Amino acid sequence: MKKIIVYGELNLKNNEIEDVTFELLTKAQKLTQEALKLNPEEKYYTEAVFSASYLLEDEIKKAYKAGADKVVVIKDSVFDTFYSTVYTNAFLEYFEKNPSDIILFPATPKGRLIAPRITAQLNTGLVADCTEVEFILKNNNVVFAPTRPTFGSELMATIISKKAPYCATIRPSVFKAEFSYKDNGEFIEYIPTSYHEDRIRLVRSILNKDNNTSDFSNAKVVLCAGYGLYDSKNEYFDKLKKLAKITNSKFAATRKVVDYNLVEQKYQIGQTGSTVEAKLYIAFGVSGAIQHIQGMKNSKTIIAINTDENAEIFKYSDYKIIADAKKVIDDLLNYFDIN
Amino acid sequence: MNIIVCIKQVPDVDDIKWTKENNLDRTNMLSKINPYDEYALDVAINIKSKFKNVKITVISMGPNQAKEVLNYALAKGADRAILLSDKAFAGSDTLATSKILACAIQKYCSDFNLILTGQLAVDGDTQQVPLSLAQLLKIPEITNVNEFYNADKDMAIVSQKIGLTTNVFEIKTPCIIAVKENCAENYIPKIDDYIRAQNIQIEEYNLDNIDLAKDEVGIIGSPTMVYKAFRPEINKNTKEIKENIAKTILDFILKVDKK
Repeated sequence: MKKIIVYGELNLKNNEIEDVTFELLTKAQKLTQEALKLNPEEKYYTEAVFSASYLLEDEIKKAYKAGADKVVVIKDSVFDTFYSTVYTNAFLEYFEKNPSDIILFPATPKGRLIAPRITAQLNTGLVADCTEVEFILKNNNVVFAPTRPTFGSELMATIISKKAPYCATIRPSVFKAEFSYKDNGEFIEYIPTSYHEDRIRLVRSILNKDNNTSDFSNAKVVLCAGYGLYDSKNEYFDKLKKLAKITNSKFAATRKVVDYNLVEQKYQIGQTGSTVEAKLYIAFGVSGAIQHIQGMKNSKTIIAINTDENAEIFKYSDYKIIADAKKVIDDLLNYFDIN
Repeated sequence: MNIIVCIKQVPDVDDIKWTKENNLDRTNMLSKINPYDEYALDVAINIKSKFKNVKITVISMGPNQAKEVLNYALAKGADRAILLSDKAFAGSDTLATSKILACAIQKYCSDFNLILTGQLAVDGDTQQVPLSLAQLLKIPEITNVNEFYNADKDMAIVSQKIGLTTNVFEIKTPCIIAVKENCAENYIPKIDDYIRAQNIQIEEYNLDNIDLAKDEVGIIGSPTMVYKAFRPEINKNTKEIKENIAKTILDFILKVDKK
C-alpha cells in the first residue's frame, strides 16, 4: 500500500496541533479516494508525522478524525525549541526507515524551512506554496499534481515531478478540515538519535502588539476603500470608516491608497497585505489590481462600485454598480443620519 | 572575512506581458537584480564599510545577460563576481539550482564565512533555494531577516520578523542568512564605480568546471516540471445593480450574520 505523509505542525506554546495540519489530513484522505477512482490498484493510506516532546491523546484523536490512518510522534525534548536543522535531521532519520510516496508540508514559516532541506537531502523535487493538489491520469499513470500561483499570482502552474517522494508545501486555509473520518487508528512513537543545534542561539523574542496588522481573519463584512474615493477634500476614507463602524463591518484599503498615505498600512488587503475571506466584500472605487484580487477573491459575495464600466474588479464581482462610490457612501450614511 | 552574495536577474514583474499561449512575453521585457538580493548585497557592502579585510563575492546562475547584474554588483562594491552559465543549466528547478550553487561554492569560494541571499525571488517566489543550499552545504540558516546588528568572521547577530514576532539570533559562521527587508543603506553606483568595476573580470564557469553530471542539472536534472500553466479563470455571472443602489447595498450588509 502506498502512503501519503502529512508533516504535522504544532503550536509550541501548548503542543496543540495547528489547524493547517487538520486541513492537510482531510485533503490527504480525499486524495486517497481520488487515486482509487482513477485506478482501483492505487491504494494509499495517510500518516501524520509530528516532531514533539509530547502529544496529548485528545490531539491525536483529532488527527484521526481529520483524516489520519496512522499517527507518528518522533519524540524528543529537543523539539520544544524550533530549529530547522534539528527537525530536518529527525524527520530524515524516521523517513529513511519508513519512506512514503508523497509528503505534504504546510506552507507555514516553519514548513517552508524544513521542506526544502528535507527534499534537498532526499534529492527530490518540491512544489512551493500550493493552492491545489490533485491526482491526474497521465499516460494511464496516477500522478500527483499540485498547482501553485506564480509571477505575482498572474499565472497558475500545475507542476508534476519525475521522482518520488512527491512533495509540496500547501498554503494554510485553502482546504477545509473536516472531523468525521474516524475515532482511532494506528499509533507509533519513534525515538530519534538526539541532535542539538549549537550554532544558533535565540537571544530574545518579542511579540509586537502595536497592531501593525488589522485582524481580518474573522471579518464578515469588509468595506474596502480604493483610490477612486480620493478627492481634493479627502474625506471619503473617513466616511467609509464611519460607515464600517456603524454597520459593524471591517474597513480595508488597497495598496495604492496605502502607498499614497491616505490610510494606514494595517488596513491593506492584497498580496502584500492581509487576505480576507469575508461573507460580503464591497469595493468602493477599487480598480482591481491583480495583487488586490488575490487578497479578496475568496470572499463569498463581492459587490463593486466604480465609475469605469471596464474596471477589472467587475470581472471578479457578483454584483457591479457603475456609479461614483463617493455618492453611494453619502447615500448610505444618510440612512443612518435620519434615524 | 569572506561574504558570498547570491544574486538573480529577474524580469520586472510590474511589467509582465503574456503571450496568447500563457507564456511570458520576453520581448522588450525589462530585467533587473532581484530586489531582495539587492537588500542582501547592501548588507554585505555595509559590513565591508565597517570592517577591514572583508571580501564580497557575488555569484549568479543565468544566461550571459546576467553579467548585467554582476557588473552592477561589482560597481556597488563587490570584489569578485562569478557567473555560472551553461546551456545545460537552463530549466533548472530549485533542487538543480541549489546543487549547482553548492558545487560552485565548494569549488571556487569554499573559504566563505557568510552567504547572504534575498528571502525570495520576485519571479518564482518559492523561497526554497536558500534552505536547500544550506542543507547541501551542511550549514545553519536564519531567514526573514529584517535587521542586521553585526557580523564578523565568527558570528552574525540578526533579527528576524515573522508575523507579529521579532526574534533576535546569534548564529555562528559559516551560515546562510536570507534577507527580507531593506536593512542597510542602498548605495546607487556612480559612473566612477562602473569604471572601477570594469577592471574586475567576471569569472565564468560552465558544467565542465563544476563537479556535477549532466543529468543533475537543467531540465534533465530537475525533478519538477510544469505540466500546464493557465491564467486563473474567472467565471462570475456578474449582475448589475442599477436602481435603489444604497438601499440594496444596505440590505446586503444587514443580511449578513455578523456573529
